[in-house]
Amino acid sequence: MKKLHFMLAVLSVGFVTLGHAQSLEAIDGKALFGDLTARHIGPALMSGRINDMEVHPSNSRIIYAGTAGGGVWKSNDGGATFNPIFDDYCQSIGAVELDPNDPDKTIYVGTGETWTRNSVSVGDGLYKTTDGGANWTKIGFDKSERIANIIVNPNNSQEIYVGVLGALWGDSEERGVYKSTDGGTTWERLLYIDPKTGCADLAIDPSDPNILYASMWEFRRTGWSFESGGEKSALYKSTDGGKTWNKIHNGFPEGKLGRLGIAVAPSNPKVLYTVIEAEKDERKGLYRSNDAGASWEQLNNDFGITVRPFYFSRIVVDPKNEDVVVKGGLSGSISRDGGKTFKDLGNMHSDIHDIVFSIKDSDIMYVGTDGGVYRTWDGGTTMEIVENLPISQFYQVSVDDAEPYNVYGGLQDNGSWWGPSSSPGGVEARDWNSIGAGDGFRVLKHPTKPIIYSEMQGAENVWRIDTERQLTKTIQPLPASEGQKLRWNWNAPMAISTHQPDRFYMGSQYLHKSEDMGDTWEIISPDLTTNDPAKQNQEDSGGLSMDNSGAENHTTIFTIAESTLDENVIWVGTDDGNVQVTQDGGKTWANTVGNIPGLPKNTWCYHIEPSVFDKGTAYAVFDGHTMNDKTPYAYKTTDFGKTWTSVISDDVVGFARNIQEDYVNPDLLFLGTEFGLYITMDGGKNWKKFTNNMPSVAVHFIELHKKTNDLVMGTHGRGVIIIDDISPLRSINNEVLTKTLHFFDTPDTEISETSSFSGNFGAETQFVGSNKTKDVQIKYYLNKRHTFGKMTMVIEDMDGNQIAELGPGKSKGINIVNWNYTRKTPKVAKGKTFSFGGFTAPQVPAGTYKAVITKGKETFEQTFNLVYDKNSPLTEKDRELKETTIMRLYDMTQELAYLVYELDAILEHASSNGDKKTADKLNALKETLVITTGDNYVGSAEPQLRERMADLYSKVATSYDKPSGAELNNLEVIAERFNNAKMDFAKIKDKYLKKQEVQLMSFDDFLESN
Amino acid sequence: MKTLKITIALIAFALALPIQAQTADEILENYFENTGGLDAWKNLKGMKMTAKVNQGGMEIPLEIYNLKDGRQMTKITFQGKEIKQGVYDGETLWSHNFMTMKAEKSDAEQTANFKLNTNDFPDAFIGYKEKGYTVELLGKETIDGTETFKIKLVKEPLTIDGNPQDDISYYFFDVDNFVPIAVQSEIKSGPAKGQISEVTMSDYQEVDGIYFPFSMTQGVKDGQAQPITIVSIELNPTIDDAEFAFPKEETEKE
Repeated sequence: MKKLHFMLAVLSVGFVTLGHAQSLEAIDGKALFGDLTARHIGPALMSGRINDMEVHPSNSRIIYAGTAGGGVWKSNDGGATFNPIFDDYCQSIGAVELDPNDPDKTIYVGTGETWTRNSVSVGDGLYKTTDGGANWTKIGFDKSERIANIIVNPNNSQEIYVGVLGALWGDSEERGVYKSTDGGTTWERLLYIDPKTGCADLAIDPSDPNILYASMWEFRRTGWSFESGGEKSALYKSTDGGKTWNKIHNGFPEGKLGRLGIAVAPSNPKVLYTVIEAEKDERKGLYRSNDAGASWEQLNNDFGITVRPFYFSRIVVDPKNEDVVVKGGLSGSISRDGGKTFKDLGNMHSDIHDIVFSIKDSDIMYVGTDGGVYRTWDGGTTMEIVENLPISQFYQVSVDDAEPYNVYGGLQDNGSWWGPSSSPGGVEARDWNSIGAGDGFRVLKHPTKPIIYSEMQGAENVWRIDTERQLTKTIQPLPASEGQKLRWNWNAPMAISTHQPDRFYMGSQYLHKSEDMGDTWEIISPDLTTNDPAKQNQEDSGGLSMDNSGAENHTTIFTIAESTLDENVIWVGTDDGNVQVTQDGGKTWANTVGNIPGLPKNTWCYHIEPSVFDKGTAYAVFDGHTMNDKTPYAYKTTDFGKTWTSVISDDVVGFARNIQEDYVNPDLLFLGTEFGLYITMDGGKNWKKFTNNMPSVAVHFIELHKKTNDLVMGTHGRGVIIIDDISPLRSINNEVLTKTLHFFDTPDTEISETSSFSGNFGAETQFVGSNKTKDVQIKYYLNKRHTFGKMTMVIEDMDGNQIAELGPGKSKGINIVNWNYTRKTPKVAKGKTFSFGGFTAPQVPAGTYKAVITKGKETFEQTFNLVYDKNSPLTEKDRELKETTIMRLYDMTQELAYLVYELDAILEHASSNGDKKTADKLNALKETLVITTGDNYVGSAEPQLRERMADLYSKVATSYDKPSGAELNNLEVIAERFNNAKMDFAKIKDKYLKKQEVQLMSFDDFLESN
Repeated sequence: MKTLKITIALIAFALALPIQAQTADEILENYFENTGGLDAWKNLKGMKMTAKVNQGGMEIPLEIYNLKDGRQMTKITFQGKEIKQGVYDGETLWSHNFMTMKAEKSDAEQTANFKLNTNDFPDAFIGYKEKGYTVELLGKETIDGTETFKIKLVKEPLTIDGNPQDDISYYFFDVDNFVPIAVQSEIKSGPAKGQISEVTMSDYQEVDGIYFPFSMTQGVKDGQAQPITIVSIELNPTIDDAEFAFPKEETEKE
């Protein structure tokens, strides 16, 4: 039996070891990426689309915003600021609901935004938290795609109703009204029409929770069309908790219906409002019932009420007044006469999706728009934006080679922008520059000139902006012959060349090339699309309400890429699934999509990434979600597209849009999917999800900045997210993973001597993006977390002198330790107050240093170089003078500290001995050495030797420059004063110590003491 | 044949063990057992930690006192001047103002919230049931690259800006050795309110039979963290009561 125990023990140890296996295949991203952490730079000033707003039923300070692509945000301060609470999950939100009986703890989040524009994201189910958002559990509806409403019975928390709008791009049976009677464990579908009709809105009678109203909507989108409305759209009522449903259409328009909104007046539940999309324009608009839906009367069909029902159909009634009604819309509309007449809400970003009233005061409202959350304090007349919601929705990003580099990109309904990747005090709203109107898409910087290209939807305008002279013109290609119709994607592709700086490409159905920055154009391809006429009837798009915004334009080129290795190799991908390549600058083209195995026909080619290692090699990413196919597709060719192989593994979740190849290690690839970022270090065999401060947000575009190795992501819901310096990933392999500690190479680090006056003036409630560090970073991999025993890290010079002590990272995975290349601050004499100059830590000179890690009995060393900015005006001699001056003052400061320590010790001794004469002398001397009265603020006393010395030390040490003549003169004055003080003290000390014995620490011991 | 069956059954049982659900109490039991035994923990009367933090080259020495009766104090030494922060004498919570270096009382709400934690020495989990706390195992989570048990601790409700709020923190116990390696909680007030604070613990070492972390980091989850190095820990230290007392207004000496 004992033997058996032993065997079992061995067995289980074996299993444990297996679980810890260190290989690229087995290791989890969370155990690998360690301190490699994403940082967010926003922008937040234009924010992004909001889908649903929610208030707490009893605490007016708490407000939630469910965003279209940036997760769930919570405010604890009445809407002044918000924090994200749903980062680990799908960021596209349909509905947020608090359990009215437990609103602090129990919250439901239905994913998948419900205002079904072309660029809408998808959800992946219903989530629940019972601890206020710290932990979430998915409780079903995996295939729902979009959840429109969640309602908890106010009298019974176990009873939950869910309105599922469902799939947009195809048939689905996971639609309609569902109910749970056990708090969300099991669900019953109560109202279902057909695979094309979902629940667009759901409302409950707060006075009788058995009464429900559900609006059902027949709708469908394809890549080239949208259809709203049909025979199946209807408004239903149930009076038995959802068991049976009846249409309530008495007074409704005849014929087909589209999207309907429904609202119950909380103060009088007999009063209902619905907004109806109908066949005839004059019958569209707002209807009211005063008898709980038995009959309806049409009240208003103004533009603000009928505009784009698929995008705006929310009706909200003031909880205190049944006659105050607000309707979402292009501007948002408010009625104070029961819905008869409306006026626009105050100036704010257009496209209003949801409105909530404060529970305390109906003058206060929170409004969700395409450009963030707005607050009003005066009943909707004046609107102010929430400034810390960085939920901007990028379609693309690009970078330049400035230092720090800038990031460029276009935003859904928010124009085009560029801003710095780092900025003094952080990347603030004021750092961003607007560079285009309308919906923004692609923005590119001219490779050598101060020129930026940007565009708006469908290449209606393509701007060329001279940012130095503030000169702007439009340069989009125009029809070159009568009858030539150019088909532009809504998100029209543009590209520049690394070979010819003035070259500029654009894609309609043809590839257009300009060699003069867009002034003249040449078409260098035939129609590269399928040119399928069935997908070109956009003027018929919209269903009951025509909606030809250009967003459905199809059979167009979507991505263009010229090889960096050969300017004659150009790749083109189309939205209808072609992958075309030319090897002769456009004379001949080959459509290679037929060579791609396992790819459904006509799947949207979203991105092509030509390799930097070989001109026949490229990656192509396909997105099938507009054909109701959410599989990720990415392929690699090494022979100009003759053959393609998939580089996707089962690890990848969410359809993919973009891939980025590393510039050094061809096996290191980055993949952006609808649910986040994935990284492979073995050419696509295994992908790891990156989750360090990286939400599960849709990544639309990825750039790798060559000089810094920063990975820059354009996300569709969380702005620009950057992972600084991904270079450690280049050397991750199975061998490294098994080492106890592996140092990654530290590139030469420039000592930063720049400084600026940055205070975050007025940014208290603003989002401020974090900066890239200027410190030197020591990076290493640990194969196990260090938990027991000592682990320390010091920086030494090459002679082994300790310069600094640092706190090493202990995580399993990649650890990053920052050092700001300074020594310790000097030991400063003790006075009554602080000597602020003494808080300056002196910078070390450029040179070679080593980081030494001691872990248990083992020691690990890594050398690295600090270098000066090559543009610094200082000569080597200047540097030497600066260093010796700083260190002379540093040493003097410490000597003075020791002198004052000795003085204090003798003073104390003398005082306790009643030697008043010595004590008086010492006190008199001390008063000239350090401040002995006052405080650290406006009660400060006259500065003494300590302060003068430390201030000069700090002045020299914090300057970029060599010491000035004035500083050197001042130094001699102080040095002389110090010498005199030393002599004065020595006299008193020698005399006293002849008579008395005083215990004194040595200078070195003193430096080590507190 | 019978033996074989038993063997197979036993192996199956053994294989099931690692995935068998641990209860929160078992994890806590293991934690105290592995770090010195619950009795040793309970016998502690006080602790003095000598520590240092490094702020941009400035090494700041700290002395942190925690006593069983709830009294606490952190002494910071700047340029030889001692500054006290977070001093609690059993009644009053006070700190030195950095400008005037005079003692000032914390506001009533903060003091009341602080008092709620004075029964948590040496560890909030000891006697948690008697204190009316609840503990819940939420499952496993990877922290610092390591698999941990995530345990939720709910203590007495706090009052924040006049409103009652639950005092919730999440402890992450290393599955291999059952010591906590991280604690997370929501920041309730101040400029970082709404963000998640994270403290990590490592370098566990023994002091008179009990294991304590000698290295900690403090920061916001996914943000920069400030390392704190503990130089030494003294158990049951002697300390003058007067050190904790709120000082009377001193008159400037001439």
